[in-house]
Amino acid sequence: MSDSTVKPIEDPKAVTELDGKAKLRKWLNMNFRIEMTDGRILIGVFLCTDRDANVILGACSEYLKSVDGETEEPRVLGLVMVPGRHIVSIQIDDTTPSQKYYFDE
Amino acid sequence: MGDTDDFYDGDGTMESLPTSPEVTYNWVDITTDFFKHIQDLQLGELLHDGNLFGLFEAMSAIEMMDPKMDAGMLCNRGNPKPLNFQQAVMCGKLKIENLEPSEIIGIIDATVACIVSWLEGHSLAQTVFTNVYLHQPHSIIDKPLKAYCIAVYKLLDCIRDCINKAQVFEEEDFLPMGYGYRLGSNLQSGNTYDASLEVSEQKCISMLREQEEELNKKARSQEDEAELWAALAARIRFTRMFYQALLLITKRDSQSGADCVALLNGCSEMMKVIIKTASKGTQPLENSDSPNPMGFEPMINQRLLPPTFPRYTRIKPRAEALQYFDELVSRLRHAWKITSCTNFHTALDFFMEFSRQRACILSRSALQLLYLSPSPANTASMAQSNINSPQGQRPQHAFIEILRESIKSFVNPPVLNMKPGVGPNPAVREFVENFLVRCVRPFAVLVQVCGHNRARQRDKLALLLDDFAALQEEADSVDALVSGAGSPPRACFGTWVLYHVLRVMIAYLLSGLELELYSVHEYHYIFWYLYEFLYGWLVSALGRAEGLAGDRKDGKKAVRKKKRSRPYAREGLMCQVMQNMCGGYFKALVAFKLQGKIRQPQSEFDNEAVRYKHRFAPLSVLTPPQVHYLEFCEMTQPLQYENPVILYVAGCKHFQQARTFLETITTPDQEVTDLLKVAKTNFVVLKLLAGGHKKDSTTPPEFDFSVHRHFPIIKLV
Repeated sequence: MSDSTVKPIEDPKAVTELDGKAKLRKWLNMNFRIEMTDGRILIGVFLCTDRDANVILGACSEYLKSVDGETEEPRVLGLVMVPGRHIVSIQIDDTTPSQKYYFDE
Repeated sequence: MGDTDDFYDGDGTMESLPTSPEVTYNWVDITTDFFKHIQDLQLGELLHDGNLFGLFEAMSAIEMMDPKMDAGMLCNRGNPKPLNFQQAVMCGKLKIENLEPSEIIGIIDATVACIVSWLEGHSLAQTVFTNVYLHQPHSIIDKPLKAYCIAVYKLLDCIRDCINKAQVFEEEDFLPMGYGYRLGSNLQSGNTYDASLEVSEQKCISMLREQEEELNKKARSQEDEAELWAALAARIRFTRMFYQALLLITKRDSQSGADCVALLNGCSEMMKVIIKTASKGTQPLENSDSPNPMGFEPMINQRLLPPTFPRYTRIKPRAEALQYFDELVSRLRHAWKITSCTNFHTALDFFMEFSRQRACILSRSALQLLYLSPSPANTASMAQSNINSPQGQRPQHAFIEILRESIKSFVNPPVLNMKPGVGPNPAVREFVENFLVRCVRPFAVLVQVCGHNRARQRDKLALLLDDFAALQEEADSVDALVSGAGSPPRACFGTWVLYHVLRVMIAYLLSGLELELYSVHEYHYIFWYLYEFLYGWLVSALGRAEGLAGDRKDGKKAVRKKKRSRPYAREGLMCQVMQNMCGGYFKALVAFKLQGKIRQPQSEFDNEAVRYKHRFAPLSVLTPPQVHYLEFCEMTQPLQYENPVILYVAGCKHFQQARTFLETITTPDQEVTDLLKVAKTNFVVLKLLAGGHKKDSTTPPEFDFSVHRHFPIIKLV
């Protein structure tokens, strides 16, 4: 149906989809590195968030904060939700083009 | 010695996880942007890739920093990284030679506490293997400690073997994973596997025996510390005897009977000494999670655990753990008695009784292995795979003979008593044999189910009823064939199966009471079903069996038959007791309902027919056919117009009757005493109610299951 492809353009909501939301949407499915309040680092694929900055990461691994440069082997966690209040910092990986976590449509 | 191998990489003795291929990242900080952008989201709005990821997926994520879900949190509470064996030895925190006896006693008792925690369903990694000594037992120089640590490996392996063979555990009972610790082969030295360090069962036992003698010598020669050395010797001796006994149970040689009993008795005696001397060992520090000051690192394996793994394991306090072991030994001694239950019915009763005590996983497993070798679970699966192989190639199960004997003594069908060559044609004989073969699986599973924990038994019984339904059909056709055309069929096999089916049905319904699955407003049809049908049918099945078994002897020696007491007299009596109890509850419950004393569900959310159907669903596939809800309504309709007082009086009579029956039993066991107490109390309560006590009160009565798990005491509040 051609309807659906035309409509969004006219839909004021879509046009003005808030700047912030659009930016966030661009980050979806990219690698995130989140440091938590207890010092652990989580690296995983950014899948979902909400207004309280609760972030869901897929295929996530946990790294302990390295003390003296030695690299600790990661612990594989899978799908995790990081509550916003425990997030200290977020970094994004800009080396790789965004890769889909599940599958390409 | 291979122990001194100085090769060492990373932490502990565990094999490390495969490391992912090297990836390089270019991290760019977006913290402030991110927190700014999310403000554009509505409250509760999720930003996600709509087609691929939704709320449903979101719900299955592990929540970080939630102590219940996040196992990694605890590694990180500012505690320094736990030291592994070599590091701890190096910095002098771990003594591997010249240990004081009190130190060894402390280590041993703490290890026992860890084993008990493992047996209660925690993981090995978080319990026994927090003992750092066990990471490299061969590197220990102190001889008693080394022997003990090696023996712990063998013991753990044996315990796991026993539990795995019996197959009566669920995830809540027991975790069989080893996390890379090679249990059986016992070879943790550095990170290498060294076959020369393999310790055989015999060698392990003789090592312990040697240490035992050494320690006893020390106890005699060193007067000032005699008691300490003796206490240590007792621990080593206990370990040896317990290991030997468990080996005998798991391997199950028939001639080892007396040995095993003697060993277990010895264990009990040693346990007394151990409990008495528990205070001689080093004790855990106050406010410390470590079960002993030296040798234990609660966090050492934390990083090995899978992501969703239970959080943190609290090790059982020492005194309780020793108590547990003491009771475990008594339970094993009790379980041994199954070996003298030759009759299947007695054995089945034994299993049910044992299960009622809510025994631990190890003793439940041991009981299974003691009854059937290798185990009922194994018998059942073998039967399943052999059912279609031709008769000649079928392996003979000991269990078939047990069942054959059971049928003989229960209903005594003529066909099982005939000598080969005599009697019916071979086809009939073959047919009967086939039937017996088909019985093996359901009955072996029944025994296995009795070994499971109480909560799991219910579902498994429901599944089993399906198997029994098929067996019933088969039994009927065997009966028809054996009797031959013309003569009225003697339902020997049918009666035998029916008896067991009814017992399973009753157990199924009663387990719902024990597990508190029913609401009070449902009680009335549960008790009604038991009262009107199941117990009645069971009584008549027993009666029929007695008739059938007696039949054949009738002609020969009428006098002798009279002398033989009815073998099921007590069981029949108990059935009548239960039937009356259920009748009493049923009538009382209807009266409560009429007086508005029972809270009913809101009518728009309620459909009694649906609930009824659900409660009795597993009973629907069998003969006797399930009694349907409509029939229930029809049959109980008249009671709706009854005067509650008359119902109370009728209920009262039922309890009175139950009491009278119970009082005729000359050797009352605990069960009888408990039932008697319940019957007496309820009799009085109903009498009060019949007299108009609290007639206008709508406060619901309470049902107190503390005296008996199935039959509550009615309490008016």
